[in-house]
Amino acid sequence: MDDDKMTDEALSTLRLLRTSAPSSEAKKIAINAAMAAFDAAQVKAPRRGTFSGWRIAGFGLPIGTVATAVAALVLLPLGTQLYTATSRHTNATPPVSSMAAATNATSAETAPVVTADKPTAQGAAAPVTLQAPTAVPEPKSADVAPTANGPVNAESADRDVDALVAPMVASPAPMEKLRMAVPAANATRSSGRQSDFVPFATGDTFQKFDENRVKVTRTDPVSTFSIDVDTAAYSYVRGVLKDGELPQPDAVRIEEMINYFPYSYPAPTTPDTPFKATMSVIPTPWNSKTELLEIGIKGYVPPATARKPENLTFLIDTSGSMDEPNKLPLLKRSFGLLVDSLQPDDTVSIVTYAGSAGVALKPTKASDRSTILGAIDALDAEGSTDGVDGIALAYRVNAEAKGEETTNRVILATDGDFNVGIDTPDELKTYIKTQRDQGIGLSVLGFGRGNLDDALMQSLAQNGNGNASYIDNFQEAQKVLVEQGGANFVTIAKDVKVQVEFNPAQVSEYRLIGYETRALNNEDFNNDRVDAGEIGAGHTVTAIYEIAPAGSGGELNDPLRYQTSQAEPTGLASELGFLKIRYKDPDADTSKLISTPITQDLVVKDASKAGPDQRFAAAVAAFGQKLKGSNYGDMSWSQIANLANGAKGDDRDGYRAEFVQLVKLAASLKPDAAIGGIESSGIASSLVEVN
Amino acid sequence: MRPATAANSNDLVQRAKGGDRLAFEQLLETHYDFIFRTACKWTGKKSDAEDIAQEVCIKLATAIRSFDGRSAFTSWLYRVTLNMVRDTQRSTSRRDRTVDAFSLVHPDDDPGSQEEAATARELWAAVGALPDKQREAVMLVYAEDMSHAEAAEIMGCKEATVSWHVHEAKKTLRGLL
Repeated sequence: MDDDKMTDEALSTLRLLRTSAPSSEAKKIAINAAMAAFDAAQVKAPRRGTFSGWRIAGFGLPIGTVATAVAALVLLPLGTQLYTATSRHTNATPPVSSMAAATNATSAETAPVVTADKPTAQGAAAPVTLQAPTAVPEPKSADVAPTANGPVNAESADRDVDALVAPMVASPAPMEKLRMAVPAANATRSSGRQSDFVPFATGDTFQKFDENRVKVTRTDPVSTFSIDVDTAAYSYVRGVLKDGELPQPDAVRIEEMINYFPYSYPAPTTPDTPFKATMSVIPTPWNSKTELLEIGIKGYVPPATARKPENLTFLIDTSGSMDEPNKLPLLKRSFGLLVDSLQPDDTVSIVTYAGSAGVALKPTKASDRSTILGAIDALDAEGSTDGVDGIALAYRVNAEAKGEETTNRVILATDGDFNVGIDTPDELKTYIKTQRDQGIGLSVLGFGRGNLDDALMQSLAQNGNGNASYIDNFQEAQKVLVEQGGANFVTIAKDVKVQVEFNPAQVSEYRLIGYETRALNNEDFNNDRVDAGEIGAGHTVTAIYEIAPAGSGGELNDPLRYQTSQAEPTGLASELGFLKIRYKDPDADTSKLISTPITQDLVVKDASKAGPDQRFAAAVAAFGQKLKGSNYGDMSWSQIANLANGAKGDDRDGYRAEFVQLVKLAASLKPDAAIGGIESSGIASSLVEVN
Repeated sequence: MRPATAANSNDLVQRAKGGDRLAFEQLLETHYDFIFRTACKWTGKKSDAEDIAQEVCIKLATAIRSFDGRSAFTSWLYRVTLNMVRDTQRSTSRRDRTVDAFSLVHPDDDPGSQEEAATARELWAAVGALPDKQREAVMLVYAEDMSHAEAAEIMGCKEATVSWHVHEAKKTLRGLL
């Protein structure tokens, strides 16, 4: 420990850091500015006496509890709300709270300086229709990183892959105005398996789900799921880990963790195909006998000129529980970034609920930056009033600013209080769906921890053709609101479903990693009434199957005695399987189909030849599996960290580097020696020390 | 951190929260130096520190109402200042944060250039290259001489997490010192 002491001593010299003396002039200016802001704040906010320190706790009640039901009795009947909110010409001006009034000195001066030089958005959106086959080259990569324990075969299949995307148009499905479909996230089953992790006890609730099991191709060749571009699970898990706790297994949704990261899959070049699929089969890092089939989907990125003006209404929870540094204050700080990234023609409005309820900002053009920032700055979390009809008001305000060619969206920001004026989740979902059909979508931003109803967040966003994101820090806010702002706000394809049929002659077993809460019945694939996930502009979505090639010895099940493997027609015999993706254009009710065979030339035998994106996604999958105490995958933390570290690629924003740190953090919280691969064939993990 | 003014501060804070203009002004007078010096330590630039101190003061005008007395006022103030430092650094240089935002202490800003202080600055540059959380933990524990518990309060995490960050940081720095 001598080393440690030396470092200690060296570090203690930091105490000698000198600081300059403040100049009295700067001090005077600062204090004067602050006094002006103080005076402005006193005018806006009613004076509070000695009770100001008291907060009314318990108003952040999740929906469906007795208390919210009682509160809802005073509300308008649902029918009335629907009528008012959905009518296209709303004349009634909603009440404007005094909060929206004067912009104060504060907002103008403290707003972060982020300049965005984007051309002005112009009217018409690019038409999205499906056309001719498109070649999908597999990203080639030269940088070599040794993977943990994948097999290293001499032969390499490093070739460009031309996967054909052969479009077909599906048979027209009945056009129904109000879809009564079951949301995809309905796979609620009680978990049969006990995890060996000690879950982090919080008030946050997560949908329980069983991990996908290994399926035998011969008896169960088809796998169907809905796309999921949510990323909430990763930020949530990161927050919990950074607080020194382990997340509860149900909070770890592996597909959301994988999809958190940007991948450089090739994007479609024309709007004719809204997205492009890139496939690759690489050795499994945690099992030398199996392979990973990675399907990467990248959404079309419309040029800035084709962007429709955005009409955004923020529905902000101002209940008392939002008054924590990582909630409303974080939202406020993030807001400046968002405003800067908008085009002058975009419209922003703000409605609050739960605390101070009402319209905090009438629809305002993004060019009027100071008014917008002034309004957000004046928001105050104080939780005492009940919900009123926050959500209906938000939709009404949004509809007011709806133009011929605008992208309309309500963005709900909350820490779990869904007391928005409609008292049961089902009614709320139906209401959101109805609004969606009127052309107003919904996205959900989750803040803080302790009260989040994750499943509800997810399903609300799903019903509103939007995503749920969890914002735990400023950087994340930037990612969700600015860098992926386009993706999160502009839907380019909806109800995207994926179906893979495996060829038993080539693949004897398969397992879909993650997407448990997005599972669909096989027959729902062609049923246009069944809702599924959306893809936004520039989104990437990745799905990974672990497959056991026939005869590889990687199968977990014994071979079937009475089935013969000679049945396949020769031409198709060499294909691993067949990928089908079904989607609808944003305004369409009928789905389209793209499909492509999964061919042998996608197989990369040498792990080091696999692209960094593919290797990185595998590392995230391994991390998720280990974190939730999965039955599958057996790698040590340091192996996972190494795998990810070698696959960082460009990593312009440092997300992958942060992931590596997170793996190390998890390692320190749950050292490998303590669990050492109890459940599976743990060869490596118990031997490798994490350093 | 400033125990002598603590009792007085609490009274001032309560009054300022209630809208007492004079109390708020006095509070700023008392704490401006603390805010400025903190910002200075973290940014290494006097001009940045002045900007940040001013923004913190303005922010306090509204934020003071959310101070709930669960932590000491100075800890809370430190956190507010630190947040502002972070925001400023992130918004000015989002891409090259570690390089630009954590620039070296400018010699002009620090006339007293004894040898020890110079070493401290060198070390500070190394610390500046650490990941955010590690840097924060190290700065709080070593530059501010806080206990891990105190640092945890400011960073808004568990004491054990601070210890872990410090541990990781030391490991990285070991080779460099």
